[in-house]
Amino acid sequence: MAAPANLLQGTLDLLILKTLTLGEKHGVAIAQRIAQVTGGTFVVKPGSLFPALHRMEEAGWLTSFWGESDNNRRARYYQLTRAGRQQLKAETREWGRISLAIAAALRS
Amino acid sequence: MIWTSRLTSLWRNLVHRGQKERDLDEEIRAYAAILEDEHAARGLPPEEARRQALIEVGGMEQVKEHVREVRTGALLETVGQDVRYGVRTLARTPGFTVAAVLALALGIGATTAIFSVVDAVLLRPLPYDRPDRLAVVLTRGTGPVAPGNFLDWRRDASSFERMGAAEAWGTNLGGDGRPEHVEGVRVTSDIFPLLGVQPQLGRTFSADEDQAGRGQVVVLGHRLWQRRFGADAAVVGRSITLDGVPHVVVGVMPKGFEFPPFWATGAELWAPLPLAERAGSRNGQSLRTFARLAPGASLEKARAEMATITGRLEREYPGTNRNVVVRGLDDIVVGDVRSALLILLGAVGFVLLIACANVAHMLLARASARHKEVALRAALGASRARVIRQLLTESIVLAAVGGMAGVALAAAVLRALIAISPGNLPRLETAGLDPRVLAVTVVVSLVTGIAFGLAPALQASRFDLTGALREGERGSTAGAGRHRLRRLLMASELALALVLLVGAGLMIRTFVALRRFDPGFDPRRVVTAVVSLKGSRSEEPGRRLTFYREVLDRVRALPGVVSASAINHLPLAGDVWGFPFQVEGQPPSAPGESPSAAFRVVLPGYFQAIGLPLVRGRDFTDDDRLGTPGTVIVNEWLAQRYWPGADPIGKRMTLDDLDQNPEWLTVVGVARNAARGQWAAAPDEEMYLPLLQSRLYLEREGGPFSFLTLVARTSTDQPAALGPSLRTAVWSVDGNVAVSEVQTMEEVVAAATSSPRFYLLLLGSFAAAALILAALGIYGVMSYSVAQRRNEIGIRMALGARRGDVLRLVMREAVGVVAIGGGIGLAVALLLTRLMGALLYGVGATDPITFVGVGALLALVALLATYVPARRAIRVDPLQALRTE
Repeated sequence: MAAPANLLQGTLDLLILKTLTLGEKHGVAIAQRIAQVTGGTFVVKPGSLFPALHRMEEAGWLTSFWGESDNNRRARYYQLTRAGRQQLKAETREWGRISLAIAAALRS
Repeated sequence: MIWTSRLTSLWRNLVHRGQKERDLDEEIRAYAAILEDEHAARGLPPEEARRQALIEVGGMEQVKEHVREVRTGALLETVGQDVRYGVRTLARTPGFTVAAVLALALGIGATTAIFSVVDAVLLRPLPYDRPDRLAVVLTRGTGPVAPGNFLDWRRDASSFERMGAAEAWGTNLGGDGRPEHVEGVRVTSDIFPLLGVQPQLGRTFSADEDQAGRGQVVVLGHRLWQRRFGADAAVVGRSITLDGVPHVVVGVMPKGFEFPPFWATGAELWAPLPLAERAGSRNGQSLRTFARLAPGASLEKARAEMATITGRLEREYPGTNRNVVVRGLDDIVVGDVRSALLILLGAVGFVLLIACANVAHMLLARASARHKEVALRAALGASRARVIRQLLTESIVLAAVGGMAGVALAAAVLRALIAISPGNLPRLETAGLDPRVLAVTVVVSLVTGIAFGLAPALQASRFDLTGALREGERGSTAGAGRHRLRRLLMASELALALVLLVGAGLMIRTFVALRRFDPGFDPRRVVTAVVSLKGSRSEEPGRRLTFYREVLDRVRALPGVVSASAINHLPLAGDVWGFPFQVEGQPPSAPGESPSAAFRVVLPGYFQAIGLPLVRGRDFTDDDRLGTPGTVIVNEWLAQRYWPGADPIGKRMTLDDLDQNPEWLTVVGVARNAARGQWAAAPDEEMYLPLLQSRLYLEREGGPFSFLTLVARTSTDQPAALGPSLRTAVWSVDGNVAVSEVQTMEEVVAAATSSPRFYLLLLGSFAAAALILAALGIYGVMSYSVAQRRNEIGIRMALGARRGDVLRLVMREAVGVVAIGGGIGLAVALLLTRLMGALLYGVGATDPITFVGVGALLALVALLATYVPARRAIRVDPLQALRTE
């Protein structure tokens, strides 16, 4: 496993929002999905994941509820709100702008 | 909406905190459980699956703490938590808490009290409209102005929107029973519009009331209106009797209105000032002129314009328009006391700083005792910022409690201050703990809490985690730095205390000098009273002398009275009029350049009654009366200056009189110099004229010539007890004469020397507080330092060091700090005491005796505070000390 990269400020939010577009998920599933889609570059530990989830919920981007996991375990599920979808769009645009800019800077 | 979501979160976080916490706990447990399931599903044994899951979750408490930190209102909540925790911690160590709160209450309370005085006297604007636009135009910046000059200035000066003049005035207010002497001021009709203050009832003066004969009207002050007229609104339009003449009340001024704000303060009623018939007078200087700057005009511009105008008038009327000064009104009102009050504020700030340094000491000592607690909190996931915040919160809680106690203390101190203050602090009685002052107290408390808490908090939070936990309570790596900080605090405490002590020392020397202050006369067993004939039948020119003689006969007949006489203005308490004169045999001076001397008018027997020895010649007698050759008695100062080396008796001089024909006065006596006016002012030339030869005092109608002060020397040590019989004696001759200001000469002297006593008392108590705090601080530091070095000392003694060696070792450290702190303190004191010049009498600002004495006192106290713990150190039983290792 590669050493987990330092998450850029805001990157974790973007990854969580993106992960939840496919539907509601609990914490473990979110962390695993992020590790999977980034090829193991980002390993999100509970120490970062939970504060991010709670912060985003308070910001109104996510809602949460108690549900049942596949193994019939009680688990906290998170779901995108409409505000969350808008935030994702905005952050995706922003990310595109930044990565283009950085790519351009590195090419020069 | 985003913000509504935030608001509901805040509500839930704060109100349903328990529920939130349980949810969070359960959520993290569920997370671990799911991980464990997955590991188990991958074939790990149950024990191993569980272990892996827990490792991946990491510190459960740390995760929770991180979540709590991002919650809305997290700051609010942790602050609440920290405050609760801080209060609990402080309550567990009551000794420490009480000591710290007391030190802080002392500092904050004294600061609050002095600040409220400074606020009332210096910072709060004068009770006029835009007072910063008001100015005074006075001779030499404080002296009176002649009517002719005022009228010309008012006509010509365009940098002033308005100019008005005022003249001191005292009047006998008639009514039921005895007339009451009331202080008032005559003002031109410009004054009230110039000040921009509206009357509460009725009106102020109209321009036509400035005409002589039209002005039998009067405006009442709020206090007089309440005191004498029962706050009756119907008084407007009513007629009252002033000096026996009916005047119509046209208005009542609002509460808090005062005018003038300097010089004749305490005026309670105002009447018009007709100047037309005095328009040509350029010598009778009796007016104070006030002005409002025209829009856009600055004080500088007004000064330049007035310089031009007075330059022109001076050419036209030589000797009449010199030294005319334009000053801001606020400058003249508080100018004299500003430096004294700022010195007090600075001094009290020093006390607060010393209190802070002391509490910082205590916190540092506590911080090392709490080292383990802090390390434990860090191990459980508290970040350094979090630890600092918590420790700072504790300091602020401490400061807040200290501040509350301080406010209670300030209220008491303020009452005492107002009670003992000298009369020269304008508007002091309005000082109080109003919201403005309390707001400053809150800020001071907070800043104090941070000031003394920050250094210890930074020190305490800088830990080597494993080291601290392993080494336990013994000194850790932070020890050296902490010790440096303590020595720094100790040195600065010493320096601050030294500066205060020097200030107090100088005041003590001033006070001692004042105790020896010789007013020239003997103030013991003398009682005085001001008698005003205004408005009575006795004021009539033919009756005055008879009245005075009869009153004095009756006073002399009172049991206990040894001798009695009268003077126009009492030394130290009364007015001082300068009067120009010429000396026979010397070339006549140019107009306006004559020598001048204080003008005293006395009845025979005055020198005996006041106890002022005549060093040569004789007193006036009943034979020195109108129709006999003029006589005068001069003081030593005048005699030396104008007849140096010669016998002044028989020499002649003449007054540059306004009305009388010049008449030669022969010097018949020389009196000792008597202190006059201000307590610290140098003696001045004085001349005493016999009232029996003064047409001014015997015959002149109007003006301030029908007042005299009775002076009675008694055989009792309680001369004040004779006051009532003095009044009765006067009233038995004429019941319509007002008697006021009955006071003993000792009271007069005490009042004249009251401001240095006031400043001594304050600076002295600040310095005493500083000395005690500093001594406690040093004692604390040294005790701690010795306790820390117990092992070292034990080893040294086990290896054969003698007690003297150990004592020297411990003392050496303290001596160094005392020397550095003391040196810095002396240097700062040398710089700062120069500002005290105006408060001192009979001692220089860099008085070596004070500096050396105070330095020695502080060094002695500091070394004593070191010696006690050091002695304890050498009694250490080496075995005992080593065993605790």
